[in-house]
Parts: sequence; C-alpha cells; structure tokens
Amino acid sequence: MSAAAIEVGDLAKVFGGLAAVDGVSLVVPAGERRVLIGPNGAGKTTLFHCITGTLKPSRGSVRLFGRDVTRDPEQRRTALGMGRTFQITNVFPDLTLAENLALAIVGTDRRKWVMHRPADAFTEVRRQALEALEMVGLEGRADLPVKLVSYGERRQLELALALNTRPKVLFLDEPCAGLSPSERQRISRMIAALPRDITLVMIEHDMDVALGLADRVTVLHQGRVILEGAPEEVRANAEVRDVYFGHG
Amino acid sequence: MMTSALLQAINGVSLASLLFLLASGFTLSFGLMRVVNMAHGAYYLLGGYIGLSVAQKTGSFTLAIVAGGAAIAVIGYFIDRFLIRRTGENHLAQVLLTVGVAFVMGDVALHVWGGDNLRVPVPVFLRGPVVLPGDIYYPMYRFALIFFGLLAAAALWLLYKKTQIGAVVRAGVDDREQVNATGINVDRLFVMVSALASFLAGMAGVVGGAFLTLYPGAEWEILVYALVVVIVGGLGSLEGAMIGALIVGLLDAYGRWLLPEFSYFVLFGPIALLMLFRPRGLFGREY
Amino acid sequence: MSGARLVFALFALGAALALPTAGGPFWTGLVTQMLIFGLLALSVDLLLGHAGLFSLTHASFFAVSAYTVAILQVRYAVPTALAAPAGIFAGTLLGLVFGLAVRTRGVYFILITIAFGYVVWGVAHRWSSFTGGDNGVTNVPFPSVGGVGITSHTQYYYLVLLVVIVCGLGYRILIRSPFGLGLRGIKASETRMRSLGFRTGLHLYAAFVLSAALASLAGVLYVYYNRFVNPVASAFPISVEAALMAIVGGSGTIIGPFLGAGVVLGLRNWVSSFIEMHHAIMGVVFIATVLWAPDGLVGLAGRLRSRLSKPAERKP
Repeated sequence: MSAAAIEVGDLAKVFGGLAAVDGVSLVVPAGERRVLIGPNGAGKTTLFHCITGTLKPSRGSVRLFGRDVTRDPEQRRTALGMGRTFQITNVFPDLTLAENLALAIVGTDRRKWVMHRPADAFTEVRRQALEALEMVGLEGRADLPVKLVSYGERRQLELALALNTRPKVLFLDEPCAGLSPSERQRISRMIAALPRDITLVMIEHDMDVALGLADRVTVLHQGRVILEGAPEEVRANAEVRDVYFGHG
Repeated sequence: MMTSALLQAINGVSLASLLFLLASGFTLSFGLMRVVNMAHGAYYLLGGYIGLSVAQKTGSFTLAIVAGGAAIAVIGYFIDRFLIRRTGENHLAQVLLTVGVAFVMGDVALHVWGGDNLRVPVPVFLRGPVVLPGDIYYPMYRFALIFFGLLAAAALWLLYKKTQIGAVVRAGVDDREQVNATGINVDRLFVMVSALASFLAGMAGVVGGAFLTLYPGAEWEILVYALVVVIVGGLGSLEGAMIGALIVGLLDAYGRWLLPEFSYFVLFGPIALLMLFRPRGLFGREY
Repeated sequence: MSGARLVFALFALGAALALPTAGGPFWTGLVTQMLIFGLLALSVDLLLGHAGLFSLTHASFFAVSAYTVAILQVRYAVPTALAAPAGIFAGTLLGLVFGLAVRTRGVYFILITIAFGYVVWGVAHRWSSFTGGDNGVTNVPFPSVGGVGITSHTQYYYLVLLVVIVCGLGYRILIRSPFGLGLRGIKASETRMRSLGFRTGLHLYAAFVLSAALASLAGVLYVYYNRFVNPVASAFPISVEAALMAIVGGSGTIIGPFLGAGVVLGLRNWVSSFIEMHHAIMGVVFIATVLWAPDGLVGLAGRLRSRLSKPAERKP
C-alpha cells in the first residue's frame, strides 16, 4: 500500500497558555481533495503553518508520502513537493507579476543561484511564467508591478505562485477570501480543474464552495478534529451545525 | 594572582553597574515602544558634562546626578516627540535619525566642554581607597558604584514586577494591542518610560564620568558596550539587561587584564556564540 | 538603455574623463574620494536596497583590506600585484566570519553589525604593535604592477574611474540576475520566499560575503589614494556614512550611492571651509534625509519627473 500524501500525527501548537492546535491527526490519501472547515479560531491556519513548516509545532509529526518532514525547514518541504497559498495574500508588491512567477519557478531549482546572467535571459522561465499567467487570465498584466493590480488579481497570482513550485500536495488557505462572486467562481473552477496527481488540502469558509470541491471534509473546532467524513455527512451533522451556527 | 582575579571581578561588576543603567533604559524603550535610540550614548555624555558643570558650580555630587538625569530627560522628551515619533516603527530610519542626533549632540558638547578628558568631581567620602578583606586596596568610588547599581537594579525590578505601572509596561512589552485595549493612556505611558530611560542615561553619564572620564568619542564607546549587553541579554528584557551587564562587565575586565591588545575580541566571542545558538539573546523574543 | 539615459551616461563619462584638465588637482582628488566612497556605499546598498539588511559594519571590511595592503606593501615590501588581491581576500574572509550576523534579522542584525564593527575598530586601536595604533600605517606607495606604476593623482583618478565603471557594470549584472531577483524577493517577504523553496539564510549569507568583497575592493582603492590608513577608517561613522550615502542618493539603484557620496563629501568639504562642525552637519543631513527624503535624490528626481509630465489636477 503506498504512503498517504499527508499524514499528521497528534500535532499540537501551544502559544503561551493557549493550545491553538490541540492534538490533530489526519491522513490524506494521494490525489484526494480534502477540505478543512471550522469556525474562526478553530486553528485551521495554525495547523497549515505547522504542516508546511512556517511554525514549529509543540508536539506531533508530519509525513509527506511516508517521509518524516517534522524536522525539515519550510524550504525543504517545498522542494519535496509541498506548495501553499496564504490566507493573507503574500505576494511581492514591487515586483512585476512575471517576476513573481519567475521566483516561484526557480525557487526549487539551481537556477536561483545564477549571478552572471540577467533573469530576463532565461526565456524558458519567462515562457512558463506567461503560460501560468494565461491560465489565470492575467497574461496581459505580466509586466505590471503587483501593487498596481486589483486584490482579486493578486489572489489569482497567489494561486499561480503555489502551482508553479511543482507541488505534489497543495495547501490552499481560503483561496476565495475577499473575492467577488464571479472571481470566486473563477478560482473554484481553476481548483476543480487541477489534475488529480496533485493532492489538495483546502481551508474554506464558504460551505457551498467547500462541499462542492471536497472528496472528504475534516471539521476542526477549538484546535481539535470533531468530525471527518463525506461532504453530505458533514452537512447533515447536528454538532457541526451547532458549532457553526449555534454556540461554538 | 588570586587577588588580581578578585580585583578584576570587582572591576567587572562595577562596570556592569554602569552598563546596566544605560542598557536597562535602552532595552525597555525597545521592548515597549519598539524604538531603537542610538543617541543613548550621547545622552550619557551630555548628561555627564551637564552634571560635571553642576558639580563644579555647586560642589554637590547628588545635585549633579539629578541635574544630569533631569536635563537629559527633558532633552530626550523633545527628541522623542518631534523627531523619533515621526519614524513610526521603521528601525532603519530610527537608527539613522538617532545617530544624526547623536552626532549633533556630540559636536555641541565638543564646542562647549572641549576635547580634553574631564572627570566629574567626586565627594570626599567617596574618594580614596577602601580596604577589603585580605588587605586589598580598591578605589572606594568603584566599590560604591556596585551598591549604587544594585540599588538601581532593585528599584527598577520592584517597579517593573511589583507595581501597577510595571504590570502595564510588562503587558505592553508582551503585546501592545492588549494595552491599547485596556484603555490606559498609552501615549502617557510611553512618555514616562522614555523619560525614565533618558534619565537613567543622563545619570549614568555623571556616575560614569567620575571614573571613566568624559571625552569626545566616549558616547560611542559606551553605547557599543550597552548594545552588546542588550544583544546578549535580549531586547526588551530587564533580567537580560542585568545578566548581560554582568557578563559584559566581567568579560571586559578579564579581557583587559589577560589580553589587553585584544580586549575587544572578548566582546566578539560571546556574540558569535550567541549567533550560532541563540540569536535572540538569552531572554529575548522574536520581533 | 533608453535614448535619454544613454545621452546622459555619455555626457557623464565625458565629464569624468575631462575632469583632471578642467578641474585641476582639488576636484580630481575630491571626485576620486567620491568614487571610492561611492563604491563602499554601493557595497552597503547591495544588502540594504536589495536584500533589506541594514549593515553598519562595512567599514570593517574596508579597513581590514586597507590595513592588509598597507602592512604588506610598507613593512614586507610585497608588490601591488600580490598586496591588492591579499587585501580583498582579507576583507572577504572577515565577511565570511561576520556573515554569521545573517542568522538574525531586523534590529538585532543592525545592532550586531555595529558591535562587530567596534571589534575591528578596537583591534585596530589597541593592537598597536601590529596595526600601529592611533598612528596607523603610513607611507603607502602608489600601486605599481610589473614595473608599470601610477605616478600621479591624475593617473590614479583614471584608474579608480575604470575600476568603478567595471564594478558598476558587474553590479548591474548581479542585481538583474536570478540571484538578485531572489534578494529582492527576500526583502519583500522572506516567509513567502521560503515557502517557494528558497534557502533564504544561505542567499543572504552569499549576498553579505559579496558585499564584503566589494567593500574590500573600495578599501584597496582607498589606501592607495590616502597613502596611509589608521583606525578612523574602521570607525562607526564611516559605516553609517556609507549607508547614508546610499540612502541620500537613492537606495536600490546603481547610481544612487555615487550621487550620495557626491552630496555628502561635497557638503562636508564646503561646510568645513567655514565651520568646524562636520559631525553636526552630517547629523543634520541624516535627520533631514530620514524625515524628508527617504528615497533619496533618485526618488526625488523620479517624483519631480512624474509631476512635470502630469498636468496638475484641478481640485473639485
């Protein structure tokens, strides 16, 4: 039996006296689309940070296709195939869109160390960057600095960046946050169209988007997993409804 | 040999007292207000010179200390209000701005007090030697400095850990949003802490000027020591300033005694080690 | 390069070449200094303008390199062909050690570089048996390689001009390379760069060492110009001024640091002819720059240009 794409074992992250993540275990098989839902403060983003290496967990383990990456720094995990987007858009405002993508493209290979040729001369990188921008409909803005494009377009760039690090597992943190309904649709369609050889783990607030894309849903509340199952199961579950709409 | 080692230890601790006075203000300013004030050394020097003039005119050492401290507290307030405040939390801008202020203060001091080594006159009862057990003769002033430092440390400690105001400052160092939310007048708090830091620096100048003397350039030499104290101890930590001061003071004393030509290296060693194992300093936190 | 820029560059080059004849020894000397310190400022700006690290220790590399050349040439009669590279090597080696500082960021980094700078100054000062203490090392000859030597300040000026132009071109290639782009990415968001796979610590370390090498080259040029070196070359004001020059001229550009050096040195020269307060003047320039011109001359020029090309908007 091949290893799961992601295996999280009893992960916890404690800040001061507060456990933002309180013993979470998770197994995501390769190729699955997993969605994490839960009210604000449930610990979803913190969990992501611990899995991708942005934060060091207080205890627990993370395995990527069977390989223990718990002690690996973030950049190593990316090189091994973990990609992510951030909840708060984290792109490079003074660089052009094409330059942003160029960084993503060379981030995991040797070319980032080249000091004697201009980045522009790497035509292959430029072509790839333009292709990536075309996929999100932004190729016309390729040479504009990011600070001049709209929030929605930046969010699309955020996704394009993550996709261009050649991820095997992609962690999307509220990819649709702050977007207009049409932009939301666009992003959802893009995500749905992603090939199945990329495993997807997504945090999403919007229940409909989430349940539409998911193979399986994990519900987090106060740092713990309270339910895991197929979308319909979760939608119908009383405890989940309580947590979201009642006194959670 | 043993006596020398002991003497150096006392030297180190007395220097530590002085460094603590300077570093504690610097570290709290940063911890609470995120302000890096590179003019702290100039505050020391100018405070020392002002105290010197007061001591010469009035013959009172106590008055000199108070005057030096108070004068700098006032000057510091204006620098804070009209200059530093405008840099927000841009540390690069703060460093450049306060270095500029220090340059100006240094030149002004040079023109008023000249370039010679000046010594703040010390009251009679603090002059001469004190005889320690084992027939060791040691300068009374430096010995008294240790007690002065302990007193200041104790007072600051009590203020910081045991009073309401201290609690608010500690909370602010931890999380500024928290303090804002409690409705306490944060602005006034900042002004008070800043004034205290400036007062300590000015006072340190008078106290230090009595045994280290005052001269152009002293403001940078003492600042570097204070910076190392803060790096080793960790920015924002009062305990860090105490322990850091002790470490730096002792290292400096032993360094000068054992390796006089390389004594600055003894400052480098611990910093390098710290870089490798604990970049934030002993008690510092992520900023 | 656009047409206007090319014309400007050619004009500047022409002026630079004609300087010794048109300006005489005073201006030749002053501009030589501006080129040397501009190069030092450029080295600081590689870190400041591109990687976002504010180093205040670059005088250390500058001075160590200068001392190495001076001691080798004066005390051990080592020829320029060996002494100059040795100087650059020594400064770069120190850069490898001080590069430890990149394990920190922000304020800590700034403070640590200041402390490192003082260690070098302290050693230069106190290790008098080797460094000559306060007096430093004097009587450094003009450089000469294989019998062909510099014999005048004018010749030295042209040599420095050539070196600076070559460095400028090399620097341009470096900052436009993927590595340079990576540095700018780190400056913008280190966390994002890590999540894209960049080993940011290593990148910054490499940049630090490169900038130390450039500062060391400036040190070599300095000692042959000055013909002596003393602890002042390693002092904190030199490091701060180098940073100021980069900022006043325009951080993140190639020409900025040189413009800044021109302004700072020119100002000091002019003011010291009627008042002996150059530290205070420097201080005021620091304060004024921070408060009113944080993107320096290049920034001001940019803003002026856009304001001139846009007609004034009418207020409703």
